[in-house]
Amino acid sequence: MNVIEIKDLTKNYRKSRGIIDVNLNIEEGEIFGFIGPNGAGKSTTIRTLLGLIYPSKGTATIFGKNCIEHPDIRKELGYLPSEVFYYDNMRVIDLLKYSASFYKKDCTKRINELAEIMDLDLKKKIDDLSFGNKKKVGIVQGLLHEPKLIILDEPTSGLDPLMQQKFFDLIAQENRKGATVFFSSHILSEVQKMCSRVAFIKEGKIIKTEKMSTLQENSYKRFSIEAKSAINKEAFNMNGVSSFELKNNTANFIFKGNINSIMKKISEIELRNISIEEPDLEEIFMHYYAKED
Amino acid sequence: MNMFLYEMKSLRKSMIIWTLSMLGLAALYLSIYPSMAKDAEDFKKLLESYPEAIRAMLGINLDYIASLLGFYSMIFSFIILCGAIQAMNLGVSILSKESRERTADFLLVKPVSRTAIVSAKLLSALTTVVITNILFISLTTLMANIAKTEDFSVKLFIMINLTMFFVQIIFIAIGMVVSVFFKKIKNVLPISLGFVFGFYMIGALLVTDSSDKVERILSPFKYFDITYIIQKGNYEPLYLIIGAAIVIVSVSVSYIIYNKKDIHAVS
Repeated sequence: MNVIEIKDLTKNYRKSRGIIDVNLNIEEGEIFGFIGPNGAGKSTTIRTLLGLIYPSKGTATIFGKNCIEHPDIRKELGYLPSEVFYYDNMRVIDLLKYSASFYKKDCTKRINELAEIMDLDLKKKIDDLSFGNKKKVGIVQGLLHEPKLIILDEPTSGLDPLMQQKFFDLIAQENRKGATVFFSSHILSEVQKMCSRVAFIKEGKIIKTEKMSTLQENSYKRFSIEAKSAINKEAFNMNGVSSFELKNNTANFIFKGNINSIMKKISEIELRNISIEEPDLEEIFMHYYAKED
Repeated sequence: MNMFLYEMKSLRKSMIIWTLSMLGLAALYLSIYPSMAKDAEDFKKLLESYPEAIRAMLGINLDYIASLLGFYSMIFSFIILCGAIQAMNLGVSILSKESRERTADFLLVKPVSRTAIVSAKLLSALTTVVITNILFISLTTLMANIAKTEDFSVKLFIMINLTMFFVQIIFIAIGMVVSVFFKKIKNVLPISLGFVFGFYMIGALLVTDSSDKVERILSPFKYFDITYIIQKGNYEPLYLIIGAAIVIVSVSVSYIIYNKKDIHAVS
């Protein structure tokens, strides 16, 4: 069963581009990554799912019901925005109780559990909390009603690495209990850790939806080498090398495939300097999908 | 119900401040009534020297000014101005505060329809002015009884006071419909003061006597002519209907627009 179905979803803004013909299906129980650079349309897609903005064309359904027409589907939905803002003059516990009052079930136990995991002081005023602590309130607030669908929009910004880990553990736990997770991010490594499938969005369009396992088979590295003498371009004319740029004694390229073969090739050169990096996200998928377009 | 209670709690403080200010204003003016009533003739002469237009603008009617109701109706035009600002503030802020305080992403993601949100907020704004008016009317009636030099009609006194309630309802509705057309309102006060004083000035400048001029329709402040109420003992039905029509149209439009509105991300 598909928990989320997005069909030909289009949103035009007067000034800026929104999203164009987005199609996505997210199955029950999976953790689905939604990856793209800032401004690609991730938030627009999510806000349509949440019923916050209205599509110009197409439909979005959650649990088979239209997101716009059925506000009650949001009973089973937990949302964590990238930036959290709450009523400042409230205490944390009051806000969480107010939040819980919308779901018509007793969430007190779960609130306490979550607060303990996230190390959150419930008695503090929201006003006095740091950005990271406000984020924790957001996490507890999004999960306190044990939703069947969790939507995360750039969830880790503002959390320290330790809390990020706790947060991911928490999401994984919810997932094991049966929750479907829709995880939007611009950080590939984050998504790589968690997700079973991933969709890339760029300039408002879905470029590709892919299984994570397929992506991981292809490990990409960006090489920069500086040699003592001129580099022979022909030497690097091998399988897996692409975006080759040669400038005097320095060469830049992306390599995909068995690392050993390229290392052997490089070892034949007298080097002055070398760096091997993870290419950034956009580089990978732009490069990866350029051929298929 | 939870939204309504939450709103009432957050409105409580400002409601108390507004009510106390208006009561203070009324108390201040009513406290000078006994001494004024003593020198009523001199006071009348003084006011007679004002041009008629100014008198009409200030709501002064020479025939009644020396009576408690006449005096009260003069000062009441300032109190009603306060009441209108309170109501307009409520109307403009009640929906727009979610965007202003960036809490829209919290509330609108809850499993409630936009219609339910507007209803809860509208109801809390209305409850606020109802409470304000109950306190205001009962306490000013008490004050008037202390300040009186001779008996006055309590029924008329309450009827005069009730015009503030009607004006407030109209301004809540106007405020609400104005606010839904803005993407985000950074500051409520300039908008509400602008509208309220705008209507007040239109009323004061266009309607210089209390005759049946069509211009009255342009300013809610002129829908309830207090001299008329004192003379006839009831409200003008035409303007009650116009007021009701403004409220119904404004509220309906607010519901429709808010239901179709895109709620954009914070930035």
